[in-house]
Amino acid sequence: MTAETLAAAYPVAQRRGLRAIPMRLWATPLLVTAAVLALIAYVSAQDLDSMEQRVLGPGFVVDRVIEHLQLAVLATAIIVAIAVPLGVALTRPATRWLTPVALLLANMGQATPALGILVLLALTLGIGFKIALIALVVSAILPVLRNTIVGLQQVDATLVEAARGMGMSSRQILRQVEMPLAVPVILAGLRTAVVNAVGVATVATFVNAGGLGQIIVAGVKLQRTPVLLVGGVLTAAIALALDWLAGLVEEFARPRGL
Amino acid sequence: MRRQIHRLMVGITGLVTAGALAACGGGGAAVGSVSKDLDGAKFAIGAKDFSEQSILAEITAQLLRAHGAEAEVKEIKGSVNTRKALESGELSMYWEYTGTAWITYLQQTTPIPDAEQQYAEVAAQDLEKNGIKWFAPADFNNTYAISVSREKAEELGVSKLSDLAALEASKPEEMTFCIESEFSIRDDGFPGMTKAYGIEPANENIRMLDTGLIYTEVDKAESCIFGEAFATDGRIAALDLVVLEDDKNFFPIYEGAVTMKQETLDANPKLESILAPLAEKLDTVTMQSLNAQVDVDGEDPADVAEEWLTKVGLLS
Repeated sequence: MTAETLAAAYPVAQRRGLRAIPMRLWATPLLVTAAVLALIAYVSAQDLDSMEQRVLGPGFVVDRVIEHLQLAVLATAIIVAIAVPLGVALTRPATRWLTPVALLLANMGQATPALGILVLLALTLGIGFKIALIALVVSAILPVLRNTIVGLQQVDATLVEAARGMGMSSRQILRQVEMPLAVPVILAGLRTAVVNAVGVATVATFVNAGGLGQIIVAGVKLQRTPVLLVGGVLTAAIALALDWLAGLVEEFARPRGL
Repeated sequence: MRRQIHRLMVGITGLVTAGALAACGGGGAAVGSVSKDLDGAKFAIGAKDFSEQSILAEITAQLLRAHGAEAEVKEIKGSVNTRKALESGELSMYWEYTGTAWITYLQQTTPIPDAEQQYAEVAAQDLEKNGIKWFAPADFNNTYAISVSREKAEELGVSKLSDLAALEASKPEEMTFCIESEFSIRDDGFPGMTKAYGIEPANENIRMLDTGLIYTEVDKAESCIFGEAFATDGRIAALDLVVLEDDKNFFPIYEGAVTMKQETLDANPKLESILAPLAEKLDTVTMQSLNAQVDVDGEDPADVAEEWLTKVGLLS
């Protein structure tokens, strides 16, 4: 999502009201709804055997979707709570030298297969929802951390200089100049992190944390196409829906005039 | 002349292979010659991603090499992918289990309790529908089982699956299970087992885990007391776990057998007699001990395979 498209779309929306709501705001919900409806129609038309019925029962699927959403949303919230303050701290003059170290760690977290992190954690710390959450945070924190750092670094130095010349304190400069200018970049990182988290959450099933991975793994191992489709399509639908929500946040949290 | 060149090429390839294998620390040597029945034939033997499969594939490959063939082992992730590789011709053969083929490839839901009948049905249907030939089955049964740590088994006084009903009545809080997702939905898995033995573990007492984690969790006996296991897994002995006796014979029998396309056998009709001794000599106890050598003692599957083949006299 680039700044140009937003800048182009926004004034139009203001001038013409609802009819001119940009397509990307309504296209995703429409697509997701259509996909889920098509999925329900497809599964209802299938002659399911006893194993498929067990995994595709409405109660079972809804429980897995809820678990998946909980994992992805909570992980994203924790990521924001850790990565944004950390990114701010790492761009202050006194700690700037630590930035490469932190980014290296975050890069490692993203590069290491989530399943590997998960199994290592499970063998040392035990199993369950919390373990899956830690693995998710480790694997998806990079985009938010990196974008917070990059977002703050790309703020025009002359603006900071001018603010200081006007007598603003470091804290005021951060709150009133640097952060507002960095927010669009940070939010772009957030969207990447959300989508990452939804994908990675599919491995939570290996440590008793449920999620749609349970349905996908069953579909793969038993070679039951309807089961595999339900798991896959629902995961994609959740990723798209959360990305869309994050897009809305991006739209409204973006400071005026940018 | 052309034939001689071909021989020469085979010889060179053989030498290079032997050299490469020797360089890998002697893994899967066994170039000793028993016959030249398969001279010039080339085979790719598949192994799914667990130790028993690697051992079986190595045993098969080394035996074929001893009869003059070129044979390599290819490891593939998961049953379905391995089977696809066989059907596409990427693999010449691999060891499959009757129960897996019945449920997964032949898309059935109810297993046949009798091992011989189950094998006969699978072999007949797979040949007819998919052109896959099943060799005679070996007498090892890599079926599902429920394991528990020895201390817990003694403390709770359980030795067979039918003891679980009494335990559920007296100490329901001890009825916790670690299972993986496939087992949790198969008719011949957890749902069928609980029904057959008349128990109803609460949903919150069932933990869904990856197979590899279950053995250690059962050993720790914290998150779950009972766990799904594969009967021939080496970790059962290594962690001193007790397998509860399936006294109602609920779990189907998963016999292993070499599978290949009928056309592969037609091209090399001697394969059947060359591989026949394997099925005769492998049984559950042998398989457990071979698996333990790899999973527990950390030995190389190729070395374990060679040692066993030498011991039973198939390499000379």
